Amino acid sequence: MSILTIQNLSKSYGKIQALNNLSLEINAGEVYGILGPNGSGKTTTLGIILGILSADSGSYKWFDGQYGSSHRKRIGAILETPNFYPYKTAEDNLKIISHIKGSKDHDYDSILELVDLSHRKKSPFRTYSLGMKQRLAIAATMIGEPDVIIFDEPTNGLDPQGIAEVRQTLTQIAESGKTVIMASHILDEVEKICSHVAIIKNGHLLATGSVGSILSDQVTLELQSENNESLRQFLDGIDWIKGPKLIGDKIEAQMDKEHSIAEVNKMAFDRGIVLTHLVARKQRLEEEFLEITK
Amino acid sequence: MNILNLLSLEWKKFKNNSVFNLFGVMFLLTFPTVIFIGKEIQVPEMVMNINDLYAFPNNWEWMAYSGNWLVFFFLGFIMMNMITSEVGYKTMRQNIISGLTRQEYFLGKLYTAIALSVFATLFYAICTLTIGFFHNDPYSFEGAFDQPIWLLRFFLMCMGYLSFALLIGFVIRRSGVAIFTYTCYILFIELMLKWFVTGNLLKNSPAINYWPLNAIEDLTPLPSWKKLENIPMKDIEFSFLLTPSHAMIASSLYICLFIGIAYWHFMRKDV
Repeated sequence: MSILTIQNLSKSYGKIQALNNLSLEINAGEVYGILGPNGSGKTTTLGIILGILSADSGSYKWFDGQYGSSHRKRIGAILETPNFYPYKTAEDNLKIISHIKGSKDHDYDSILELVDLSHRKKSPFRTYSLGMKQRLAIAATMIGEPDVIIFDEPTNGLDPQGIAEVRQTLTQIAESGKTVIMASHILDEVEKICSHVAIIKNGHLLATGSVGSILSDQVTLELQSENNESLRQFLDGIDWIKGPKLIGDKIEAQMDKEHSIAEVNKMAFDRGIVLTHLVARKQRLEEEFLEITK
Repeated sequence: MNILNLLSLEWKKFKNNSVFNLFGVMFLLTFPTVIFIGKEIQVPEMVMNINDLYAFPNNWEWMAYSGNWLVFFFLGFIMMNMITSEVGYKTMRQNIISGLTRQEYFLGKLYTAIALSVFATLFYAICTLTIGFFHNDPYSFEGAFDQPIWLLRFFLMCMGYLSFALLIGFVIRRSGVAIFTYTCYILFIELMLKWFVTGNLLKNSPAINYWPLNAIEDLTPLPSWKKLENIPMKDIEFSFLLTPSHAMIASSLYICLFIGIAYWHFMRKDV
């Protein structure tokens, strides 16, 4: 079932084109990462589909239109920063969200327990640390048992412990089977959590699909020998190894995944080159992202 | 969401808000007491009879006049704070993200303006009846219900200020600038605009009385103006005040206009 269909969305701020004919389709159960450098249009996209920004052109449709104008009550979302009434307690803030969503679920304790805030539920929001605010925002997205949860840069500004805590909570939510849409420029985060990604830059969609399909079929090799220059020349002569280049004291190259490092090692040895270092690693999303957005 | 649901949501959001509580309490305390400043003032009988401040039916006019200033200040600031603070805290956008439609969000604020106006009008009635009752000797409500139109005039005056505050809040959005604009427009800017347009505040067209905040102020004017108008003055060629019916019609139109522009602007603007 299609959860969200975006068609040809465009939005500009004066002369800056924030989104340019962006189209996406997100299906039920997907954990969908929207990747892009700062200013690529991620938050603008989320702002439009959450009804707080208006698009210049294009359209979007939630849940195939089955909930009409009340579709946002089926969605839990944080956009940019945690936004709450600073003079109200965590519990009171959740009650307000529950009121808006018309939720019958009033078990705030277990929701606050999930994000480890139950001990501070009676404290005003303004007394919270940034990490606690972010965790409360995550708790708020779960009010009313939404079908879709949206996070925009959920670990922004957090310290390493806060990042680890938030990431753990996100992983739990993702594993619960809900549809999750997450905008981030932290690729490690997306790679660990998401099943699908869209990569956007300057408002253009550059690539979309499952994380596996976005990652290329190539393997990155790291090699070293006593004579790196003759090693590089040797690698240049193999047609299933691409782009060997010296990085620091090692050579990096791309290898088709049908071949193995044992083959490389044997061929080098046969040519009189003794490898002192040989590692093969799968292409990481970060490398692919940098390649796509180059 | 229905009216009660939206009002209850606004109450949940603001019942612990310091500006809401402080200005609300100040309004409740000053409205029934400010009229007693009159006991300390020496005014010529030709301008006003001090007894009118407390005795039925004239105390309806005086209480409405003092309420005019208090509603403009306390309730107007509360109304603007209920909009601009939500912009500052970004809870306006979060409310919409969480599921309110823009129309529901706007209606929540509009219903609050109406509820505050109804509440202030009831409070005006209770205070006026109480002061008049204890002023009569012996205590009685004699003459209390001779001029029920004052309730409508007071309600429209409240709606006038609160709809103007609603407009300023939704259009300007920033708390400090909104309060400055609201206060300055009512106290100075409209007066200056009138002067620029007509060239002379005391001459020319009686249309000068139909400017928005002038029409709203004329719903509950200083009662002594009526006496001053009976004094012939050189070069003054028109009445200082709108007639009550003209003030009510003009104010009603401005209230609709303020609400309409605020709604139109909010529905189109990014949050």
